[in-house]
Amino acid sequence: MNVKGFLAAALGSAIELGIGTADDVLRHVTPDVLAAHLPRPLWARLLTACLGAPKVDAQLVVETVGIANLCEHVPAATMWSCLADIAVRALGKPGEQPAAVPTPIAESKSAPAAKGSTRVPLAPAPPPAEAPRRPTPPPPSPAAQGPAIPAPVEQHAADDSRPPPGQRFRQAATGIGRGLGANQVRRPQAQAAPAPAAAAAAAAATTAPRTPGRRGQTEAETETETSVETGDWRGKEIAVDDSQLVDWSSDNTESRDEDFGDFSRKR
Amino acid sequence: MFAPADVLQHATPDVLANHLPPELLSKVLAASLAAGSMTPERVLDTVTPELLAQHLPHDVLWQCIAAAAARAGVTNTPGKP
Repeated sequence: MNVKGFLAAALGSAIELGIGTADDVLRHVTPDVLAAHLPRPLWARLLTACLGAPKVDAQLVVETVGIANLCEHVPAATMWSCLADIAVRALGKPGEQPAAVPTPIAESKSAPAAKGSTRVPLAPAPPPAEAPRRPTPPPPSPAAQGPAIPAPVEQHAADDSRPPPGQRFRQAATGIGRGLGANQVRRPQAQAAPAPAAAAAAAAATTAPRTPGRRGQTEAETETETSVETGDWRGKEIAVDDSQLVDWSSDNTESRDEDFGDFSRKR
Repeated sequence: MFAPADVLQHATPDVLANHLPPELLSKVLAASLAAGSMTPERVLDTVTPELLAQHLPHDVLWQCIAAAAARAGVTNTPGKP
């Protein structure tokens, strides 16, 4: 059911039940409204009825035109105002608003709210929600988070026996860093502090002879032909040419110590 | 020569409704509602002969005049009064 059908049914029922009268309708549906919206055939019917009737009143007009035709041609706002007046009078005194009807709805009636008009909320607005709490960042700790890396200057100062980092690596053999400025000072690297047990084991390894069981258990302990661990080579005679001999009395020993002097410490 | 009712015999409600402007229709109905009745005299009081001649078709008005003249014996036949 559309609006016009609802208005026709409501007004028709109101007039039939005696709740509303034809005068209530013609109070809003004036002759000017009828002249502006009623089609000419209905006007002809109305004039004919009025000229033939001994008495012309609102009931004659409403009965002649009909509630359905009125609701069909007259603007819905006008017809709604008729129905609203009838309803207000039926529910209470004219102009008095029932207590159950909210004030904004009774005041606005059925007319659509004008654009820009102030709309009254039906219910009071809820109290403003508490502002969402944002997790406050913890105050910055004095020390940076992460592994404790001692300053390189302090480490060098504590370990005077170690050579400078620039002398620990062979530079002429690999050629890496030629184009990058090999003479530049290298960035200090982090030195992991060895655990006490590991440091003790490393010290023992430097002094004790090498034993075959020092490797991890996952590594294969295979004995090769050149292995010197077993001692079978002692009884064999191997012919060696003089050109194959190496003069260990030169300064190669010094370079060996320089290159691998801290081998056990690195491990 | 003729009464308002003679006018409305030609200027029927259908003719009035189809040719009168809305404001005249509104005045006719309002006057009738105020008086409690709609009579030819009241209609012609609102819709004067000038307004009839202004809005209604002339052949309708001419038929009205011709009929009144015929009733009154005014003819253009020679030898007859």
